[in-house]
Amino acid sequence: MITQIDNPILEIHDLIVSYDQSPVLWNVDLSLPSGKLIGILGPNGAGKSTLIKAIMGLVTPSGGYVKIFDKTLEQVRSKISYVPQRESVDWNFPASVLDVVMMGTYGKLGLFKRPGKKEKEIALSCLDQVGMMSFVNRQISELSGGQQQRVFIARALAQEADLYLMDEPFAGVDMSTETAIFNLLKEMTAKGKTVIVVHHDIHSAMNYFDWIIMLNLHLVASGPTDEVISEELLRKTYGGKLNLLTKVTDLIKQKDFNPLKN
Amino acid sequence: MEDFLYFFTFQDSSIAFVVIGITLLGLGSAYVGTYSFLDKKALLGDAISHAVLPGICLGFILAGEKNPIYIVSGAFLSGALATFLTSWIRSNTKLSEDAIIASILSIFFGFGVVLLTVIQKSGNPEMAGLNQFIFGNAIAILEEDLYIYGGLAVLIIITLTLFQKEFSMLVFNPDFGRAVGYPMGLIRLIFNVLMILAVVIGIQAIGVVLMAALLITPGAAARFWTDRLHKLLIIAGLFSVISGIIGTYISFVLPQMPTGPWVVVCLSLLALISFLFAPKKGVLSRTIARQSYLKKTNRDHLLKALHHGLENGKKYLSIEEIYESFPYQISKIKQSIDDLIKSGLITKNQKLIILTDEGKSEAKRIVRLHRLWELYLNEYMNIAPDHVHDTAEKLEHILTPEVEALLEKRLNFPKLDPHQENIPRDYDDL
Repeated sequence: MITQIDNPILEIHDLIVSYDQSPVLWNVDLSLPSGKLIGILGPNGAGKSTLIKAIMGLVTPSGGYVKIFDKTLEQVRSKISYVPQRESVDWNFPASVLDVVMMGTYGKLGLFKRPGKKEKEIALSCLDQVGMMSFVNRQISELSGGQQQRVFIARALAQEADLYLMDEPFAGVDMSTETAIFNLLKEMTAKGKTVIVVHHDIHSAMNYFDWIIMLNLHLVASGPTDEVISEELLRKTYGGKLNLLTKVTDLIKQKDFNPLKN
Repeated sequence: MEDFLYFFTFQDSSIAFVVIGITLLGLGSAYVGTYSFLDKKALLGDAISHAVLPGICLGFILAGEKNPIYIVSGAFLSGALATFLTSWIRSNTKLSEDAIIASILSIFFGFGVVLLTVIQKSGNPEMAGLNQFIFGNAIAILEEDLYIYGGLAVLIIITLTLFQKEFSMLVFNPDFGRAVGYPMGLIRLIFNVLMILAVVIGIQAIGVVLMAALLITPGAAARFWTDRLHKLLIIAGLFSVISGIIGTYISFVLPQMPTGPWVVVCLSLLALISFLFAPKKGVLSRTIARQSYLKKTNRDHLLKALHHGLENGKKYLSIEEIYESFPYQISKIKQSIDDLIKSGLITKNQKLIILTDEGKSEAKRIVRLHRLWELYLNEYMNIAPDHVHDTAEKLEHILTPEVEALLEKRLNFPKLDPHQENIPRDYDDL
């Protein structure tokens, strides 16, 4: 069940991504509406993070393309914000909460230039939005998982973008922080921003998201939440074994080259 | 003393030059090294510093003399080749990074030593002093060398300062940098070039074998003192400059002494001092914190014992009774008694120990925390009453008034703990 959209904010066309020899995304083809809170669901190793990284140009696809606002990534980069997985960085890095949030302003600031008063004000107001004002000068390693997640979201807000891509912002977060983050995302979409979130919990996903993408190496579904959540599609995403796909992956691994690469 | 004054008053302009040179070198290498230490690439610095040796020798063979431009270029090129090979092998084979770095280091250094031996056998009269490049000799630096080494050091310091936010992003979160459109590949390349340059400028003064220490140790030692990048860079630079100047002074006073090893000895000493005595993260301050915590637990246990006495209708305990309830800890208990008398929580009358009003309230507080925690474990975590004592015994010393208020509220101001003992409140009369 894949719903396509006219004038999409994001269009992914026949995207294939492989790591070394093994394909992790097969022919993902979808288009997404703007101003919605969109969830990417799927089991571990389904390629959820890879999809986001491919949209952000952090992994090079073997085939297909991504268009954002009907343009290439390079043309609209300043309108897109990215929240990486919390575990992907070393939180022992000697920096304060404010230092990390200021990084959100670096894109617009450009190379060489030092952040100044204006950037600091942006960062502070973003910290206020995520309720972390009292932690401005805290060393980042002293934060709890939920607080680190909020710092990353504040950094994304500081980018002042229109499209937000977040990799597991609810991972390692307690219930009250989860609700707070969710309400913040709701506010953002109410202002016309589009937020795409990698998520792992199906039950909360049903309540949270306007639109759901289900992924398990290939695209299972993409559409409005109430149309997509069905037992059959969930079984396809989480339950069904992809024997055939796995066999083909093994075949490709045995070759010395990747036939899917252009 | 005469030497000391002669050296540090810079009467000799060549000494002043050497000190300026070693200061710039120290700052530059500590600056680059701190970033590579934070990036967990310390081993790469070691590999590069060993890998410049064949380049130095080839530069010498081509020039036929110790021409600094040939030597610096040769060193830079072989360092760059080693860095490139390391990343090329990593992306094209399945070998692990430590194996690659260890092989590159030993292959390049081995080849360098072979070349050095060839040069020494050749009988070229200019070759004297070439093996100074192995352990370094800052005093032998000539003025013309200094312009090159010092100039490169200034270049490193300026570039790092200009690119500060870019390099921080490279170390902390390069993916985010790419996502906001920064050319992270180019920034990594510039950083690697600076790293090689930092090694190259140190070859004359410190030597190839020990240059890695000057890169990594200052940052690692400074990390004990601060959690902020700016301060970290300043402290690392300071450590590096101090060690550099002391090492140079020793080679000046004892002409046969190579500089590199002495710089490293000083640096190691500073690192050891940091490890032992740095506030908060040092071993000493952690030990002191632990000791004072243990003393507090001893005092708390004594107060509790006196409280139990009150619960059983005894208004005081004799010192003998106290010793009996804490066998093997008599010296600690004596200390606790003295401390508690000083803080006015107990009084000692002849050999009888009595709680003051203040002491009663403090003793009740500890017993209350203990029993509240037991009740919480029992009610909310479904732990049997005979399993709750041990954790309560540990947590009663650290639970804050804030947590206490939460516990009281959550448990609805309970009267009895899981063992049916009274949870004492301040208004209770004992």
